[in-house]
Amino acid sequence: MSLTLEIVTPDARVYSDTIDSVVIPTVEGEVGILPGHIALLTQVADGELRVSKGTETHYLAVSGGFAEVGDDRVRVLAEHAITAEKIDEGAVEAALKRAEEQLKAAATADPAEFEHLQGLVRFAGVQLAVKRRGR
Amino acid sequence: MASTRDIRRRIKSVKNTRQITKAMELVAASKMKKAQAAALAGRPYAELMAQMLGALANRVEELQHPFLAKREIRTRGIILITSDKGLCGPLNTNVLKLVTDIKTPAKYAVIGRKGAQFIARTKRELIADFPANDRTAFPDIKVVAEFMVKQFIEGHVDTVEVIWSRFRNTLVQVPTLMPLLPLTSLQDVLKDLHADAGLKAPVAAARTAAETQMLFEPDAATVLESLLPLYINREVYQHALDAKASEHSARMVAMKTAKDNATKLLGDLTLEYNKARQAGITQEILEIAAAQFAA
Repeated sequence: MSLTLEIVTPDARVYSDTIDSVVIPTVEGEVGILPGHIALLTQVADGELRVSKGTETHYLAVSGGFAEVGDDRVRVLAEHAITAEKIDEGAVEAALKRAEEQLKAAATADPAEFEHLQGLVRFAGVQLAVKRRGR
Repeated sequence: MASTRDIRRRIKSVKNTRQITKAMELVAASKMKKAQAAALAGRPYAELMAQMLGALANRVEELQHPFLAKREIRTRGIILITSDKGLCGPLNTNVLKLVTDIKTPAKYAVIGRKGAQFIARTKRELIADFPANDRTAFPDIKVVAEFMVKQFIEGHVDTVEVIWSRFRNTLVQVPTLMPLLPLTSLQDVLKDLHADAGLKAPVAAARTAAETQMLFEPDAATVLESLLPLYINREVYQHALDAKASEHSARMVAMKTAKDNATKLLGDLTLEYNKARQAGITQEILEIAAAQFAA
């Protein structure tokens, strides 16, 4: 028994593989999905997504979106997602700083822009947390 | 026969045209690559989202949401996506033909100057127009989608539909009309999306009611509340990306054709020029010879 996991963002298909189990951060707390799980549609929160495959565990940072479970298939639609290996700590920190500064400047400006920046800041925070885990 | 000077002048002008179209072709080609990559990268996301909604579609009756309610259609709301600039072959004309076919009352929100001009010229009801930048950004498109959704919710329009040129490949762009709201024909939309991606119809559609038992977290209403608007925004965005890819592809092809025509014309003109020149020389020799005989 195994699950197929697909993680897609507007920019790319981030992850697509057959796995044993996955833990998804949702607005209601973390949800562990094993094969045979009942059909589920849930909102994904910002956080760390853990994928277990054999003896390996992969970590991904995800932010905002939805997850659908059904027929031993897990599909995650995220606003942002990145695998831990690909997170560049320095770049994220720089991006975080930039976004925060823009956020200060844009506080009264366009609400759509503000929302976008907030999303960036949140995702940057998640990325750092995932990268620095266990340190 | 035209004088050699006239031909020379024409050759020069055709050469200039060829140079310009060649440059424009190169520019369009590089923009096309980016636009195509963006459109194709966004497709899995759009498709997956539609599939998620597809899972909901079987339960639409039980779910309450203004987007899902059927209502009498008095005024259609149409988002028309065209380009800002011309010189892209029949692209805009083909899209606008679809608009001409709409006989029922409709209101239009337009992205791109070409479409706005057309709607104004043909005295249709234009309720908003937005520029089509070279870089299609999600926040820009979101504004358009949200504007139209607001019109829908307030009852000014009874449907939200999108007209754009769907990008198949560099040579083929299909003008398409797709209904977005109300979300009653989701299965058709799904089929469309799959045809786009070159896949067969989803197997999931055939699942029985018992199997579609689904858990919602936190609950169905909350999930719908955030999933549906996101779906609409993303869908419109994806179409805008698609339209952009189509535009640059069409422009590149149009410019390539123009360049090829210019090259061909240049060949013909050069031949004519050489013939005229040769005729002139022959004439001169004849005259000299004749003069010598006479002497």
